[in-house]
Amino acid sequence: MTVTTLEKAADAKAATVEFRGLRREFGPTVALDGLDLTVRPGELLALLGPSGCGKTTALRMLAGFEHPDSGEVLVDGEDVTRVPAHRRDAGMVFQSYSLFPHLSALDNVAFGLRMRKVRTAERRSRAAELLDLVGLADKGERFPHQLSGGQQQRIALARALALRPRVLLLDEPLSALDAKVRLTLREEIRRLQQELGITTLFVTHDQEEALSMADRVAVMRAGRLEQCAAPAELYGRPATAFVAEFVGTMSRIPGRLDSGVAEVLGQRLPVDGDAPAATEIDVLVRPEAVRVRADDAGTARVVATAFLGAATRVTVRLPDATEVKADLPTHEAAGLGSGAAVTVSLPERPVLVAERTQ
Amino acid sequence: MTTVLTEAGADVTPAAAASQRRRRRAPGWLAVLPLLVFVAIAFGVPALAMLNGAFTVKDQTTGATSYTTANLTDSLQGAYFTALIGSVKLSAVSAGIATVLGLPLAQAVVTSRFRALREAVLTASGVLANFGGVPLAFAFVATLGNAGVLTEHLGLKDKGWNLYSFWGLVIVYLYFLIPLMVLTITPALDGLRSQWREAAQNNGATGIQYWRYIALPVLTPSLLGGLVLLFGSAFAAYATAAAMVGSAVPLVTLQIADAISGNVLVGQENVALALSLDMVLIAGLVMAVYLPLQRRSARWLEA
Amino acid sequence: MAGSLNNPARVLKPARGANKSVRVRPWRGVVLVCAGLYFLVPLAASVVFTVDVPNQGITFDAYRQIVSADGFGSSLLLSLELAAATIAVVLLLMVPAMVALRLGAPKLRPVVEVICSLPLVVPPIAFVAGIATVLKWGPEHLSRTPLFETFVALQNPDFPVVLVLAYVVMALPFVYRALDAGLRAVDVRTLVEAARSCGANWPQALVRVVLPNLRGALLNASFLTLALVLGEFTVAQLLGFQPFAVWIYSVGGSQAQLSVAVSVLSLLVTWALLLSLAGLGGRSRSASASRG
Repeated sequence: MTVTTLEKAADAKAATVEFRGLRREFGPTVALDGLDLTVRPGELLALLGPSGCGKTTALRMLAGFEHPDSGEVLVDGEDVTRVPAHRRDAGMVFQSYSLFPHLSALDNVAFGLRMRKVRTAERRSRAAELLDLVGLADKGERFPHQLSGGQQQRIALARALALRPRVLLLDEPLSALDAKVRLTLREEIRRLQQELGITTLFVTHDQEEALSMADRVAVMRAGRLEQCAAPAELYGRPATAFVAEFVGTMSRIPGRLDSGVAEVLGQRLPVDGDAPAATEIDVLVRPEAVRVRADDAGTARVVATAFLGAATRVTVRLPDATEVKADLPTHEAAGLGSGAAVTVSLPERPVLVAERTQ
Repeated sequence: MTTVLTEAGADVTPAAAASQRRRRRAPGWLAVLPLLVFVAIAFGVPALAMLNGAFTVKDQTTGATSYTTANLTDSLQGAYFTALIGSVKLSAVSAGIATVLGLPLAQAVVTSRFRALREAVLTASGVLANFGGVPLAFAFVATLGNAGVLTEHLGLKDKGWNLYSFWGLVIVYLYFLIPLMVLTITPALDGLRSQWREAAQNNGATGIQYWRYIALPVLTPSLLGGLVLLFGSAFAAYATAAAMVGSAVPLVTLQIADAISGNVLVGQENVALALSLDMVLIAGLVMAVYLPLQRRSARWLEA
Repeated sequence: MAGSLNNPARVLKPARGANKSVRVRPWRGVVLVCAGLYFLVPLAASVVFTVDVPNQGITFDAYRQIVSADGFGSSLLLSLELAAATIAVVLLLMVPAMVALRLGAPKLRPVVEVICSLPLVVPPIAFVAGIATVLKWGPEHLSRTPLFETFVALQNPDFPVVLVLAYVVMALPFVYRALDAGLRAVDVRTLVEAARSCGANWPQALVRVVLPNLRGALLNASFLTLALVLGEFTVAQLLGFQPFAVWIYSVGGSQAQLSVAVSVLSLLVTWALLLSLAGLGGRSRSASASRG
């Protein structure tokens, strides 16, 4: 019931967000180096990248806490770059400790309504509604220090939604939580976001989090956008070597490029996408695409095995000392102890290649 | 069989454990013991002597002593009471002003982008907060006293300025109270998280609304705690006042000093002790207010 | 992985702060200038007062007189001796007790905390009133007992032990806080266990491992005690002894320039001591700062 009213309110104005040519320097550090990105109405877009890649800066620019040196931020085509933070229509959830310590959970959620001079009775009922939405209806009178980390972040989420913002901003909201709480809260944020249909930006450095929650993932590096795509595409067809290695596990196997065909492990495989100009290349392979077979005549040696459940990750050292990771069904890996001789091969499919880095 | 075993076990284990415990605990107790003995002698004996003296009078003719509350009653009358009130008033006023002035100064330092400024001000505060006493009094006498540099250059005397007065003392006390406030409140200001300001802005609060609804309420326990601490510090101060005003301003510390030096009416020798007891009670009250406030602010700011 | 990723964030954070303060805030300048005036003018005026003597023009006589002034050397020496004795006693009492509280007798901790806070509740003037009463017992009640000798020795004007006792009590709250802060930062139990598992015996563990890690706290405690003893006036004056602060007071009546000159010097000396302490303790402080 409460959800439907909220849903309608948000749905009516699901916003488009555009970053155009954002640039920002902090002294010698370039935080954003010309970022262009569009967030579609109602989608959850994850900004993924190593710390310092500028993802948080981009988010804070949308919230109005940072100002670009050049470029602009548009919400529904309207330039909000000069709008002060307290008049932006964007609710934000911070990494941690953002609840006001002297206010109860209910008063924290109602804070924005109080600033808008909403009558006491009305804002209490609306705050209670939001607490119910995040599953903490019974914790309204608790103070932040009486709540667990996960509960605090739920309250922060309710507070961010209190003013019916057009955009929801999440700045690594799960990174300070236990692994288990992180998983449940992850699902809950996604459920709420879908129910409300609110355009959401989610900053994270945890690729698993990004891939499992987001409609699309924007991978950033050194202040620029590397690739923005749906999780499956990002994983299966990474646009750059950086994306390939940052998202999921990737092994590099040295090979040679010969007229558009990669020679690797004694195989000749077509190149996926644009081939680099160099001839000395690395072939990038996912663990699940690497085949490992016990072979007494094999030149590769098993170095380590790690049991992952249904699969076992086997680390194999090639004769040239390159280490390759391969995921094998656990029953197949049973015979492969440390030091076992094996042969490594790749499936007959186009492969990703990158210039050799060393 | 079982009973025998249990009994034997019960017999041996606690004894062994006890001896082991004794061996481990003994150093802990022994290391703390000298401290306890020392405090009992060096602090406990004078404190008890004061307490005892506050409730006894000596009959001048017989030399016999008897227990009475006459000293305490005397200490709350006449010139003594005026001095007590004078001390409370001076401490309250100067602590209040120092709190109001110390907060913006600390905030200016905390938000400064120059680390060196912060270090310099905090170090200077550490020195100045301990710069009570005689040197402070003389520095102000040289500056604003009757022959002081500023008094003469600005002709303050003709404008009715007098350093050796209530407000003169307030100005001098501020010199060590403001730095003390800066030292006390800086950790609390550091504890104000930038997320709170941003979350407030994000919820539509202006800068003024942030201070009104978030920052000041969060700082309130620290501010009150600081105020109370400053009050206690000003209340106990003696050297500055003694070196500066003599007895021009009635203060309880000056009265006690007078009495200790033998400047009292016959039969009122122990009124100094009763006054001391009054001071201890007020200082105790101050601590009783301060500690819970401090605990609350620690909980808010460190959680 | 996570650890290495954290570093760039740390680098960015101060930069963010710097960005925030790019906004011009005129109130801060006003506040700092006002504060600067209030705190510097008396110092400057004091210096002017000492060198610009009426009818004599600019002269540094006041500073020259200090050294030769009657009682300067003896009172300063007395103050320094008292400070050294107080620091030694207070550390000898407190350090073993505080370390033991962490290791073997945690239940005593609230007791010690309360005991060390008690002197805050008793203002020095009230404390000295009590001491004076006790000292009067000597001639009144104990003149025929051997304890009388002790009382006389306590009040020996060349080195009044009673002042050391009083100063140790007055220093307890500060020393407790300084040591407590230091101990909080180092986790003594783990340190001692680590040292013991490396083959150190108890004394070795304490002297070689715990104390070096408390260096900053020990220096801090020593400095606070030193500042307290050098500036202490109330107890000494009312018990009739003449350490440095009382001496300044006593020359103040007759030689205004001289007393102000000494005041200025004593402030500079305190400042120098604090800065040297900051220099010595700097390493440990920055180490604990990077943790937070």
